[in-house]
Amino acid sequence: MWLKDQSMQKKSRNIKSQLFKVGFFFLIIGIIVFFSTPLLKLRGEVFEEMRLAIFQMNINKDNTTINSINTENLIVTDENNAVREENDKKANYTYIGQLSIPKIKLKRGFVSKNSKYNNIEYNIAIAKEADYPDKAKGNFILMAHSGNAYISFFDNLYKLEIGDTATVSYEAKDYKYKLTKVYNQPKTGQVAIYRNYNIKTLTLITCTHNDDYNQTIYIFEEI
Amino acid sequence: MDLSFIDKLLTFLKLPFESFLNIEIFLIFIILYIFLLYNEKRCNKKVKLTLISLIIFFFACLVFYFQEDIISVLSEIIKTIMRCFYFPNIVFYILTAIISLIILIYTNLKSNLTKLNKIITYTFTIIHLFLFTNFISLAITNNTSLTNTANIYQHDNMFVIVLFSQIIFILLIIYKLIYHFCYIRHSKLKNIK
Repeated sequence: MWLKDQSMQKKSRNIKSQLFKVGFFFLIIGIIVFFSTPLLKLRGEVFEEMRLAIFQMNINKDNTTINSINTENLIVTDENNAVREENDKKANYTYIGQLSIPKIKLKRGFVSKNSKYNNIEYNIAIAKEADYPDKAKGNFILMAHSGNAYISFFDNLYKLEIGDTATVSYEAKDYKYKLTKVYNQPKTGQVAIYRNYNIKTLTLITCTHNDDYNQTIYIFEEI
Repeated sequence: MDLSFIDKLLTFLKLPFESFLNIEIFLIFIILYIFLLYNEKRCNKKVKLTLISLIIFFFACLVFYFQEDIISVLSEIIKTIMRCFYFPNIVFYILTAIISLIILIYTNLKSNLTKLNKIITYTFTIIHLFLFTNFISLAITNNTSLTNTANIYQHDNMFVIVLFSQIIFILLIIYKLIYHFCYIRHSKLKNIK
């Protein structure tokens, strides 16, 4: 009887310890799953900071070069253009510019239109139809996700109000814009942009906050 | 910032009495302190538990009122850890190499360590130091200035080397901590027996 009792006690202790191990394992898995999204978001932010630092450093380097070279070299020839286009195509994750909106603490680079990373799954994407910011009276169109994922760069755009400012840094020059119009459109795969064609514009497009069926268009005009 | 020593001292002493809230906070902490001291004499378990729960309640209230700030502070702490892991600056990276070197020398000189422990430690430290040396040689070949962190990580090969050496270093530290705690526990158990 005594031996039986002891073996029963041992068995129950074993079961308890096994249950504890399984519980502990699931707890760890739960913690990992629960914290994975915010941690991934923070990791994305850290990588983004470094990319911007590299981008900023390269801009500074380029400026020094431009200041020190002979002005004869500044004449743009067709040959130079070809090299520039070639470089543009080669660019993979090298930022060519940066969008910053101080009110919502947004600071994010964008890659060239030809880069495979010019995609809302990686970055703030430039629309194919967009003009670069240096084009007079052009429309620079940017798109990005909103939501909770770490690629939701336009998550806080809904907090913007008319008159808020945005800056686009492109080719070592800053272009300042002011928000003038915000409107919604249904998500049909296409978007109509209503803007003043006599003013250089920045257009930001993202999904409407807490709405699965609409997209919001933010029209900024150059100051 | 440019205060003299006496001014600093006076400001520090005046601080708890600057506003009603400051006086309140000061009194709460004084009362907690007196209770803790008094309870050391009495050794009352109930008072101990009440004090601990009061302290936890006080900080929970702080967390509740400053929720957003605390979340941003926490995320900043996590980001700093991530920065140290993914993009450590050269000072931090050299520091890890020095720690690795000290562990290697200590393991080599210490005679009462097990062979398996020595082998594992040698493996981790040698790989870490090898990667560090490789990093330095790459910096020389790429002609990279190590003072600017962004300058280092624009080279993919340097980023990969640093990442792997950080992983090895973390594994080494985790192994050392686990071994240390197990060893202490094991020796304590032996002493008890």
